[in-house]
Amino acid sequence: MTPAIEVSGLVKIFGDVPVLDGVNLSAPAHQVTCLIGPSGSGKSTLLRCMAMLERQDAGSIQIDGQPLSIAGQHARKGDLRSRIGMVFQQFNLWPHMTALGNVAEALRTVRRQPRRKAEDRAMAELEKVGLAERAHLYPRQLSGGQQQRVAIARALALDPQLMLFDEPTSALDPELTGEVLNVMRRLATSGMSMVVVSHEIGFVASVAGHVAFLDRGKIVVSGSPEEVFAKPRHPRLTQFLETYIDREASQLIA
Amino acid sequence: MDGKLFLLMVKAAGVTAVCSVLAIAIGIAIGIVVCGATLARPKPLQIAARLYVSFFRGVPLLVQLLLFYNLLPAVGLNISSFFAAELALSLCTSAYQAETLRGGFLSVSTGLKEAADMVGMTLWQRFRRVEAPIALRLTIPAIVNEAISILHASALVSVIGVVELTKTAGEIAASNYDPLPVYACAGLLYLIMTYVIQLLGLAAERRFPVRSA
Amino acid sequence: MTGDLAILGHYLPQLIGGVVTTIGLWVAAAILSIVIGMAIALARSFGGPVVNLPLALCVQLIRGTPFLVQVFLLYFGGPALGLSLDPIPAGLIALALFGGCYLSEVFRAGIRAVPPGHVEAAACVGMTRLQTFRRIVLPEMFVMVLPPSVNIIIGLLKDTAILSVISVPELTGAVQQIGSETFAFVLSLGLLSLSYWALVELCAHAGRAAERRLSTFRFVS
Repeated sequence: MTPAIEVSGLVKIFGDVPVLDGVNLSAPAHQVTCLIGPSGSGKSTLLRCMAMLERQDAGSIQIDGQPLSIAGQHARKGDLRSRIGMVFQQFNLWPHMTALGNVAEALRTVRRQPRRKAEDRAMAELEKVGLAERAHLYPRQLSGGQQQRVAIARALALDPQLMLFDEPTSALDPELTGEVLNVMRRLATSGMSMVVVSHEIGFVASVAGHVAFLDRGKIVVSGSPEEVFAKPRHPRLTQFLETYIDREASQLIA
Repeated sequence: MDGKLFLLMVKAAGVTAVCSVLAIAIGIAIGIVVCGATLARPKPLQIAARLYVSFFRGVPLLVQLLLFYNLLPAVGLNISSFFAAELALSLCTSAYQAETLRGGFLSVSTGLKEAADMVGMTLWQRFRRVEAPIALRLTIPAIVNEAISILHASALVSVIGVVELTKTAGEIAASNYDPLPVYACAGLLYLIMTYVIQLLGLAAERRFPVRSA
Repeated sequence: MTGDLAILGHYLPQLIGGVVTTIGLWVAAAILSIVIGMAIALARSFGGPVVNLPLALCVQLIRGTPFLVQVFLLYFGGPALGLSLDPIPAGLIALALFGGCYLSEVFRAGIRAVPPGHVEAAACVGMTRLQTFRRIVLPEMFVMVLPPSVNIIIGLLKDTAILSVISVPELTGAVQQIGSETFAFVLSLGLLSLSYWALVELCAHAGRAAERRLSTFRFVS
C-alpha cells in the first residue's frame, strides 16, 4: 500500500545549523504517525516541510506517490495543499470571521462553492467536533480548546487525504487538552491518515500506529509504539522521556 | 455674540467638515497606493514611496499649504485656494495613512497567513480575504486619530484664504472687537466635531472587532 | 534662478534670525512641555479624582481643538482677561501647553504600563514610594515613552511654523516676509520645505538611535 506521505533524505538548514539532517520517514496511510522528540529536534520543521510552509534544502517528499514540488507556482502549490489539512499550535483562526465563517471560507473562495452549500458543509463539520451551537461566535469568544476544534473542522471541510498536527495541544490549558485529543482520536478511528507532532505521550502510545523519535535533526528510533517504547530503549529516548515528559509517565508506558 | 453670528459659524463649521472628510477620503485612497508601493518588491518604487512619506510628514502642513498655493499658479495651474488646500491636506494625510496601513499589514501574524496558504488560497485570495480585512481593522484606532488630526489641521487652510470655521471666526472677531467668545465658540464647534469622529470610531471598532490577532 | 538665490542671500541675516527663533522656541517649548506633561501625568495618576477630573477636562479641551485656534484664543482673546502677551511669549505658552497635554497622555500610559509586580517587588525589598518611583517606575517608563515622546516633540518643531500667523519672527514668517518683498515665493518656500524636512529627519534619526541604544533595557515586554 502506498504510504500517505513519504520523506527521503530531507535536509533543512537554518543559517548554518542543520535542523533536519537527512530524514527518511514513511507514514502509512489510514494510520496515525507521531513525531516525538525534544524541542529543537526538528520535528516541527519536518511537519512544516510536509506542509510546504518550509522549503527543504535537499531531499524529496511524496504524497500519495506524487512528488511535492515547491518550485511549482503558488496556484499549483494551492492544489496540493488543499489535499493536506494542517492544524497549528496557535490555532490561527482568522479573527474577523465567525467559527462558521472560518470553516466555510476555503469552500467558498478556493472551491468556489455557493454560500449555502459551503455553510451547510461547514455546519456539518462543526457538528462533528461538537461545536454546532457555537458556530456564530468569533474566535475570541471561544476557549482555546474550542478554537482548536474549529481549526480541525476548517481543515477537514476540504476533505484532505492527510492531516498534519503541529503540537495541537501545547498552547492549551491542561484541562482543555482532552476535548481536542478526543476529536483527534475519533478522526484516527475513522481511518484518516495523520502525522502528529505531540508531547502527549499517553495519546501517542494509545493512538499511534507508527512513532518516530527525532533528536538533533535525525530520526533515532522509529517503528510501532510497542517497538519504540519497548525496553531496552535507546538511551537518548530514555533521557527524553525522563526529562521532557516525567518519570511516572515514562513508567506508565513501560 | 448673537444668534445670527453663531449660525454663521455653524455654517462655516460645515465647510470645515467637508474639507476634512474630503481630505481624509482622498488621503486614505492615496495612502493605500503609497502603502502598496512601500511594501512592493521593486526597490526604486520602495524608495520613492519612502521619500514621499518622509517629505509629507517632515514639512509643516502650513509650509506645504503655502507651497502648493504659490507653486501651482507659478507652473500655470490657476486653481482656487480651496483646491490647493484640499491637495495639501490630502497629500499630507496620505503619508500618515500609508505608514499606519503599513504597520497594520506588518502586524498580521504569519500564522494567519500560513493558515490561508494551507487551505489552498492564492496570494490574491489571501490578501483580499485575510490580510486586508485584518490589517484594516487593526488600523481603525489610528485612522480615527488621523481623522481628528486632519480636522484640526484643516484650521490652517484659513491662512491661504479658505473661508472655513477658523477664518470665519477671525473675520467676526475683527469686526466686533470681541475675539474671546468668538474663538471660544469656534473651539467648542471643533470639540463637538472631534467627539463625533471619536464616536464614529468607537462604533466602527465595535462593528469590526479584531483582537487576538 | 541664480539671481533669485543672490537676492535670498541678501536676506541672510533675517533668515538666520528666523532659524534661531524657531530652534529657540522649539527647545524652550519642548523642555516646558516635558515638565508640564510630567506634572499633569503625576497629578492625574496619583492625585485622586479631585485633581484628576479638572485636569482631564483641560487635556480634553486642548486635545479636542486645533492648535491654531488655541493660539488665537490666547493671543487675541487674552487681553479681555487682562492677559496681554507679546507674540513670542504667547506662542511659547501655547506651544508648551499644547505639547504638555499630549505628552501627559503618553507619560500616563507609561506609568500605567509598569507591571504592578515590579512595584510590589520594590516594596518587598523595603524601598519607599519615592525610591520606587525614582529607581523602578521612572526608568522603566522612560524606555516605553521614548518613541511616542520623540514623535510629539518633533511635531512641536513643525508646529512652531504656525506661530508665524501671530507674527512671531520665526523661520516660516521670515521666509514669507522675504517672499512678499522679492516675489520669489516658490523658491523660498521650496528651500524652506527642504530645511524643515532635513531638520525633522535629523531629529527622527537621533530619536531612533536613542531607541536602539535603550532597547537593551526594555524590561517590559
